[in-house]
Amino acid sequence: MLFVHEFHKVVGKRAAAFESAYRDGWMPLVAEGDEARLAWYFDLAHGSGLAYRVVTVTAVADGAAYVRLAERVARGDLRSWARRLDGLQHESLGRVLAMVPWSPTVPPLADIPVGGVTREPSLYMEDTMWPFPGRLRHYVEAAGAVYRPSLAAEDARMHMHVALGLETLPGAGRSPEVTLLQRLPSLPPLIALLTQDIPPEVTGPGSWMHAALDLRDRWRSRLLRTAPWSPLP
Amino acid sequence: MLFVHETHRVIGRHASAFEDLVRDEWMGALARSDDTRLLWYLNHAMGSGPAYEVVTVTAVADGAAWEALGARMAAGDLSDLAARLDSYRHEVEGKLLLPVYWSALQRVGLDQVPTDGRRHGLSVYMQDTGWPDAPLDDYIELWDRDYWQIMRQTPPERRLLDVQACFQVAHGSGIRPEAILMQKIVNFETLGRLLTDGGVPDPTTWPGTYMAKGLEVRDQWESKLLRTSAWSPLW
Repeated sequence: MLFVHEFHKVVGKRAAAFESAYRDGWMPLVAEGDEARLAWYFDLAHGSGLAYRVVTVTAVADGAAYVRLAERVARGDLRSWARRLDGLQHESLGRVLAMVPWSPTVPPLADIPVGGVTREPSLYMEDTMWPFPGRLRHYVEAAGAVYRPSLAAEDARMHMHVALGLETLPGAGRSPEVTLLQRLPSLPPLIALLTQDIPPEVTGPGSWMHAALDLRDRWRSRLLRTAPWSPLP
Repeated sequence: MLFVHETHRVIGRHASAFEDLVRDEWMGALARSDDTRLLWYLNHAMGSGPAYEVVTVTAVADGAAWEALGARMAAGDLSDLAARLDSYRHEVEGKLLLPVYWSALQRVGLDQVPTDGRRHGLSVYMQDTGWPDAPLDDYIELWDRDYWQIMRQTPPERRLLDVQACFQVAHGSGIRPEAILMQKIVNFETLGRLLTDGGVPDPTTWPGTYMAKGLEVRDQWESKLLRTSAWSPLW
């Protein structure tokens, strides 16, 4: 399975219409054919970054299904939908991503709902890392062997669940780049992370944060909130 | 057919090693699959933009072939080579391109593309990337009607460019709205005038009133002057 990850700069005055275009347009339209589903619709949480930014993640069965979807947008039945979207967003930046070997997966496409969902929003921390030249594979392995298990440890400062571990497919974004979509089950650890200094034992020798500096020292976190109707929570 | 467009920010001290690796190993390794070929290897002309930046365009037969390429790079026969390329560059920015309806280049006979690094003269391309504030389709149609069609009617001796291809970004693999022209420069005297003339473009040497009409759909674009290497399969 592949994932089309899009970061949208939405026209502020058209934000509601933009959301509607995805909920009432994209979500059911891409589901025709059983090889693609809108998986998540996120708002970047106001107060944590740029305003009127939306992240959408669309799951597609494979590379052939992705190209069929792209051709529907370029010259098929989704062309008029895309034309309307051009008036609702300033631009979008897309990437096509594959799961890293240790990534959890999502439900089968047929089990991802296509409407009829209303639930409390979930909060995610989306981390995107840029490993040093030539260190991508080492970083992916270390993140799976050390970082992911550490999130579940009893003494972990941040209890998060990695929903997806992703890397860019060739020619469909930036490389080397790894994105982790991580669900936050509760707020207090996040508030602590935001308001307290990181203790030395978390950053010192022997820690993940220390060791991982040999592999990368640049990453970006986004706090994303699911829409109540987002197909996946 | 898909076109994988990649902009490589090469580590300056490894620039020669990067090019040697692409020419001597990567190009041939890619071609072990019948459905993938390197088409262009282009150096961003120094003095006109960023240093040590390389653009490559790779043709891939279809979506399945592209996914297979990703698998070969991640854990298959290309993984070691991909890691070596990674070690010679800061990063690479890629996008998947689809030819627009009027593009002269729609498909490439992959079995006709050389993979042996044969040498030839150099060409320079002007790669224009535009970001309309109107619907993308309107921009692509403007390029057809008021640029490409008029360019084709311009006498050869007065042409600056040969528009070889026009692409839009495959949905979700880059920026939308964005479209790209790959244009081979055929007259360097005209290029010189373009670079040195600060006045309003002369409609007798530039395609009609395109500059004025273009402002109705966009005012942001970027031209890159890209010089093919002496072994680039297409040039």
